[in-house]
Amino acid sequence: MRFYETIYIVDPNLENLVLEKVMTEIGQELEKTGSKLINHRAWGKKRLAYQIDKQKYGTYILMQFEEGDQEKMVGFSTWMKLNNSVIRHMTVTLDSKPEVHVEETKKTDSSKPEEKESEAHVEETKKTDSSKPEEKEQNSGSEIASSDSSKNKKEDGVLKDKNEVNEKKDEKTDKVKLEGVE
Amino acid sequence: MAFQNRNKFCYFKENGIHDIDYKDVKLLRRFINDQGKIMPRRITGTSAKMHRKLVKAIKRSRSIALLPYVERGVE
Repeated sequence: MRFYETIYIVDPNLENLVLEKVMTEIGQELEKTGSKLINHRAWGKKRLAYQIDKQKYGTYILMQFEEGDQEKMVGFSTWMKLNNSVIRHMTVTLDSKPEVHVEETKKTDSSKPEEKESEAHVEETKKTDSSKPEEKEQNSGSEIASSDSSKNKKEDGVLKDKNEVNEKKDEKTDKVKLEGVE
Repeated sequence: MAFQNRNKFCYFKENGIHDIDYKDVKLLRRFINDQGKIMPRRITGTSAKMHRKLVKAIKRSRSIALLPYVERGVE
């Protein structure tokens, strides 16, 4: 028995529900040829190396299956070509039986919490980062306040000096008055 | 600049790779230049057997738009 892999590109702007519909439609069309589906999964949205139908991005979907009726496979590839939701497709023979993809999805599941944790770390760091500027602001505010207070002190000092000067003047005038009296 | 060593060696034999997947773009990018051309065996040092597989993989990934046919080189 031979095993094949079909990779096809779908419009990246499709919603998840529409994408699933397209995938099931293609899967059903393939099963009409008598071949058994082993894997059928979305590989992900990727940037195309060159534009196809004025599209810069595309959703890649992988499909691995066991061979069915070879004559009907030609019909399947023409059907894929005529399918408007498929931008491009390619079928390749595999050297060995492909593994079922379920294990890898588990791995991705296990990797997701780590990502979340890392995200949480990032958030924490962000929080700390965000708290730092506040502290800085507070510090700067206190600095400003202190500078203000120092200014006030200076002003107070100036005022005090002025008062002293005024008092001295008063004393002088008093002395002059006294002298004049004498 | 990975291929400027005098002692050439086959990357695939060295790393125990027997089959080249056309979906492994990161690996295939090592063997094309910045214009998108496949680099010759005399420069990369790959064995004849693996170079044949490599060429097949690169051409497959080009046809499914994972690698470019032509890329503008560094000006």
